[in-house]
Amino acid sequence: MPYSSESGELDAEILRVIGGWHKHGRGLSDAEFEDLAQRVFAYQLRYDEPYARYCGSLGVTTGAMPASWHEMPAVPTAAFKEATLATFDPARATLAFETSGTTQGGRLTPILGSADTSASVRVVGGRHYMETRALYDASLLAGFDRFMLADDAKLRYFNLVPNPADRPQSSLGYMMGRVCAERGDGNTGWYLRGDDLFVDAFVADARAAIEDGAPVCIAGTAFAFVQLCDELAERKQSFAFAPGSRIMETGGFKGRSRVVSREDLYASLVACFGIPDERIVAEYSMTELSSQWYDGAKRIKHAPPWLRARVIGADGKTLPEGVVGALVHVDLANRSSCLAVQTEDLGAAVGDGIVLIGREQGAELRGCSLDAETLRAIR
Amino acid sequence: MSGALANVPIRAIVRSLADAAARWADADFPPRVRVLEAIVARTGYTLPVVEYALDRVFEATTEPALTATIAGELGSLDVLDGWVARNGRGSARALPAGPVCVVSSRTTIGVAIPAAVYALCAKCDVVVKDREDHLVAAFFASLVQEHDAFATAARAETWSGSHDARDLSGFATVVAYGRNDTLAEIRAACAPEARFVGFGARASIGYVTRESLADERSAAAIAEGAARDLVLYESEGCLSLHALFVESGGAIAPDRFAALLAGALDRAHVEFPPGERGAGASARLGSARALAAFRAASGTGSVYGDEAARHLLVLDPPASDPPLLLPRALNLHIVDGPEDASAYLHRHGIAIEAVAASGKREDVVKMAVDARAARIAPFGALQSPQMEGNHGGRLRIADYIRWMTEDT
Repeated sequence: MPYSSESGELDAEILRVIGGWHKHGRGLSDAEFEDLAQRVFAYQLRYDEPYARYCGSLGVTTGAMPASWHEMPAVPTAAFKEATLATFDPARATLAFETSGTTQGGRLTPILGSADTSASVRVVGGRHYMETRALYDASLLAGFDRFMLADDAKLRYFNLVPNPADRPQSSLGYMMGRVCAERGDGNTGWYLRGDDLFVDAFVADARAAIEDGAPVCIAGTAFAFVQLCDELAERKQSFAFAPGSRIMETGGFKGRSRVVSREDLYASLVACFGIPDERIVAEYSMTELSSQWYDGAKRIKHAPPWLRARVIGADGKTLPEGVVGALVHVDLANRSSCLAVQTEDLGAAVGDGIVLIGREQGAELRGCSLDAETLRAIR
Repeated sequence: MSGALANVPIRAIVRSLADAAARWADADFPPRVRVLEAIVARTGYTLPVVEYALDRVFEATTEPALTATIAGELGSLDVLDGWVARNGRGSARALPAGPVCVVSSRTTIGVAIPAAVYALCAKCDVVVKDREDHLVAAFFASLVQEHDAFATAARAETWSGSHDARDLSGFATVVAYGRNDTLAEIRAACAPEARFVGFGARASIGYVTRESLADERSAAAIAEGAARDLVLYESEGCLSLHALFVESGGAIAPDRFAALLAGALDRAHVEFPPGERGAGASARLGSARALAAFRAASGTGSVYGDEAARHLLVLDPPASDPPLLLPRALNLHIVDGPEDASAYLHRHGIAIEAVAASGKREDVVKMAVDARAARIAPFGALQSPQMEGNHGGRLRIADYIRWMTEDT
């Protein structure tokens, strides 16, 4: 099926919402979000077969729609590995992102401070297909502009994330590629290829930026930052970037043998780069989404108005504000895949944001019993 | 080494241990009542589960059970008190190997007690490094009431983690339970000549033969037992049911058996109410349930649960799925024979402690042997090991003994 007028109309409407917020700061009322979510959901029930079958098995069909977006069945992230969750023929996908290849999906799983001993991780990928770039690009740029570039700064971007030229399937790499192309000063640096971090290149570019007086944005995963800070400490090297410089840290020690606390990591970043703590912003998203959450005041995460989360308990019901549970994201920019995604990430609703706790790596063992982490390490 | 028990006859030691255990088997015994709350707080299990665990531990610690185990492993009890002639091999004596430390930092309930009991039977001084609930300390206090020598011979301390590992160099035998990296850390802290008795990460499985699914009544009985094996200790113990293999071709089909098991679980939740469940476990359970439902909607497998999410049963998941290893959650694999179960265990590299089997068919026993299981038990008894049994496939008292022989 070619790009239909129905898809086009929905995209246009979502783009209007994104544009309204991006350019004019217009939010979405609960009723507006509900209305649009219902229409996107109904559309997905018609065109996304695996999702429709799943919803049907739970008694939700186009003839028996949920009363609110809170009741829309959410697919677990692992379902993206089991089926093609798309409202269109994926052969026509303009973007196809792959999960990072761990057993549990999402590219960003902030587990700062948790003890993940799984040194070897099974590689099983899932894919998130996008019918058009328009929604994805508009969503990521609007969010980045609001939460990272509220001062309209023109920055030099140093990326400790995959270069999209090398790994086009990385959603994080793609996101930063778009940001750099649209907002950068033309001197973008990429310092990560696979597990290799190019510290010499980073150092050279950092010196040049300081010499130029150019404020920078260093974007990277928590683990890459730890590696870089370790290496710089070993070289007894630190930098004092120009005022206005900032850091976008995105969670991720998954599959790594070393984890550090968020406090320790941020203290290292301040010491290494001379960038104050208040200029360090944690971003949170996942391959299965099209939009991102960012730190706000008191490290409460906020999202653009077309992305909302609910926090659920074991029975799948929404928990009251402040109670920790699993996060379910409802992302209207996921028009061409599946708008409701259930994660194993823990968080709590606080006002119109969330406090992200990250993913618990498994309960502490009882004596000689086997747990998932140990089993994963064995395998 | 104090050797506080050196001159106490073994039969007196056994009697003291059994008498103290008998008092602890009484649900109204005041010291037992006093530790209940602490055990509930530490484990998060509900009171009926804790009571059940204490009953199992102490009811199993009887004079006949201890005597039979010691005689079985050492030839006689007398060898612990003096020289005993052995047919054509000269005399021998079983002396204490030296002080024993049992590191039981986080186990289900009372796991350290059998090890401590047998080490005391070997007349070793014993230190149990435990956490929080003071069950072992309270039991040792009861031992002192039976015999003064236990005041010196049996001590319980609080284990504060890896820092305590530095203090292990003075022990002749160190017993520890935990994940493999924890065991490695503890082992590294032992004296070079010390005996290390490590109980590493293991799981247990169940196997239901087609013959045992001959009728509804037999299937229901197996399901009742399997439900108990699953729910006790929130599926956290090495003897919990972590995967269940059900043969196809029986009069009762696997999906009917799964339904029976789901019903049995509803009843088991009443007898053993679910314990405290952390947000992380709930999140993983929710995710597992949603994935199973997603697959079922696409025609792969079935999922059984209840509204309150007290349990999760997944029938016929892909063989590539590892065990769920979540509270009261179980994958039921439909198999043609034990070789399918063996292939699954091999594929996932799962070390097995015990196998619950609905029948001792030769090929089922062979599967258990090949899986290096330490025990085969009927369904419903998986979580009730006997004091005479061999946890981890090891002898019970032999690790605490130093043999001395006299040439003829």
